[in-house]
Formats: sequence, structure tokens, C-alpha cells
Amino acid sequence: MYHLLKGLHEYLTRKEEFSVIIIGLDGAGKTTLLEKIKTLYTDIPGLSPDKIAPTVGQNMGKITLPSTILKFWDLGGQRGIRSIWHRYYDDCHAVVFVIDADDRERLSEGWEVFDSVLSAPQILGVPLLLLANKQDSPQSLSVEEIRNDYEEWHRRKLESARRSYGEDLDVQHRAERIASLDVMGISALEGTGVRAVVDWLFIRVQNSRRRDEQA
Amino acid sequence: MGLSFSSLFTSLASLVRWSKDQDVRILMLGLDAAGKTTILYRLQIGEVVPTIPTIGFNVETVEYKNIKFQVWDLGGQSSIRPYWRCYFPNTSAIIYVIDASDVERLDTSRSELLTMLSEDELAGVPLLVFCNKQDVQGALPPEAISEKLGLAGGEKERQWSVRGSCATKGEGLEEGLDWLVNAIQKK
Repeated sequence: MYHLLKGLHEYLTRKEEFSVIIIGLDGAGKTTLLEKIKTLYTDIPGLSPDKIAPTVGQNMGKITLPSTILKFWDLGGQRGIRSIWHRYYDDCHAVVFVIDADDRERLSEGWEVFDSVLSAPQILGVPLLLLANKQDSPQSLSVEEIRNDYEEWHRRKLESARRSYGEDLDVQHRAERIASLDVMGISALEGTGVRAVVDWLFIRVQNSRRRDEQA
Repeated sequence: MGLSFSSLFTSLASLVRWSKDQDVRILMLGLDAAGKTTILYRLQIGEVVPTIPTIGFNVETVEYKNIKFQVWDLGGQSSIRPYWRCYFPNTSAIIYVIDASDVERLDTSRSELLTMLSEDELAGVPLLVFCNKQDVQGALPPEAISEKLGLAGGEKERQWSVRGSCATKGEGLEEGLDWLVNAIQKK
């Protein structure tokens, strides 16, 4: 009887765990975002933004939502450490790419990196969210401007690629991915939009799983 | 009934966790002359004390942000490194100190670290690496050392951070501890 009840209890309260990786250039605000998520969704407040140094390494966080556990990996974004990202691609259920919408000078560097993430074969079917961070700054680009800037950048890149290598085989696929790309504006510092990000992840990881099961 | 049991269980579990918090055991390891003892006393009394090579270990309780850490500073000479493992059980976090200016022995330091991390008893335990002696000319920055250590990817279930420090000036130590406290709580 006890085991029956125990089993029932476990069945009713079981939670599925999903992995989310947070990547982007250094200084984009990835750790600030993770710590804000921890502050909003767990009992223990995360590190305050003034205590956050450039990440050389890996930070983790885990939050519990209804019937779901989201596990976050915040990976360092400096040039030398970006090469480790791909090792996490195989078992992640969602990718969050953070861009500093306030730093116009590094946008194209950001797009270069973002583009390589988009075309990584392991995560082609994985939900991807682009975050235009630092919306608290008055100079920062809006979600619409960020999207346009990327599309513009991408178009220019395609043109120059066509000139040198001829037709890109991936174009079709890439175009679909970009068309379905979700972009959200947040301020990781102030917490604006962070709950919407978690809601998005919560919904999308479930779909991501369903796709796995169908396959 | 299941529900009441589960809530009882959760409150009991949190009680256990709370009492565990009182005893946070941190191991500080690294090759000899990396600066472990200097870091320990810098953290504990905020001063630079003259040190001699540690044979055996120093244990001090460091109170930081209302958390009491029991920091074990183990001697780093090659003859005593095999004894490190006696201290592995019940460890909440590891601080690994590297002399960033000692480029020649970086490989040795790396292999000692990786050997240690492969121990089951230390699985998932957060790791803070201090690239110490950043004030010495020719000291490698944390990014370069991190790349050489090659922790990335192989250590998915562990939080880790590689940071620069200068124990004699006290730089980088508190920031590192802040990260560590945060990492321990989130385990």
C-alpha cells in the first residue's frame, strides 16, 4: 500500500528536466540574466550585478516550474572560450543567445557568432531565442531594430558569399530559421522581460521534447 | 495523505540542509608555492603573513557573509599531494590555486587538477581556480590559463570559474568567494 501511494505521489509530482544554454559575446549580460532568473524563481537571490566579473568558466542554475525543471548553463563569451559552446549543443533543449543591444560597435561581431550558432547542425531543431539585452539603456536598439540589423547583416553576408562561392546550399534552411526566429527585448539588470523569457522557454522546451519523441 | 507526507518530508529535508550549511568545508589545493597559505590568511585576518612551505595542512575557519567556511589548506609539494584525497569526502567546494607566473609547471598543475576532479567524491563540487600572482610580470591571464586547463565541456555538471588574483594585495579574492558562495548555494 505504501509503495502504491509512494508511486502515485512520485507520478503526480514528477518533473521533467530540460537544459537551456545561455550564450553570446562577452559583456552581453548572460550571467546577469542567469542571476536575475535565479533571484526571480528561487528562494536564494542570485549574485548582484556589481559582483559579476567576466565569466571564464561555467555557471549553472536550476529553477522549478509546474511539472518542469529548467537547468541553465551560462557559458563564458570571450573569444577564447567560445569554442566550448558546441560541446553543450548535443544535449540542450533550448538555446538563448544574448546580444548587447546597446553596443552598436560590436553588433556585427555578435552576428558573426550568432550566425555560426544558427548553422550548427546539432541544434538546428532546437528552439532558439535571441535576446536584445540592455533595454534599460536609452540608446539601445529595439527588438525591431535588432531584427532588422541582423537581417541586413545576413543579406550582405549572403551577397558577398554568392560572389565568391556561388549558391549557398543552406540558404533555404537558414531562411526558414530566420523567419521563425523569436526576438525579445529584456533588461537583465532590471529584470524587465525576464519572466517572459522563462515563459517562452517553458513552452518551447515541451515542444522540443515532442519533436524528439516523434522522431 | 501523500501530500502531507511530502510537505513533511520537504520541511525535514530543508532542516537537514540548514544544519549542513553550518559546516561548509572548502579544500584549497594547488602546487607548492602557489600562494594557498597566503590566500588563507588574507581571507581570515585580512593581512599578509609570512609563510613557510606547508607540510601537512592549515585549517582555519573563515567567516564570510555570515557563512562559516572551514578552509583546509593542504601542502602542495609532490611528496604530499597523494594525501589530498584523504580530505575529499564532504567537500562543498574546491579552491585550486595556480601560480600564474610559473608557466613551466602549468602542465603539472593541470594534471594534478584533472586527476583530482576525476575522483567520484568530488563529482559536481564547484571549482574556483585562482590564477594567483597576477602582479608578477609574465603572469598569464585567467583566459589563457583556462584554455590550457581545458576544463570546458568535460565538466558539464560542475560549476567552475577561473579568476585572476593577487593574494599579497588581496585582489580578486573576495570576488572569487562571492562567486563560490553563490555556486555552493545553487548546487
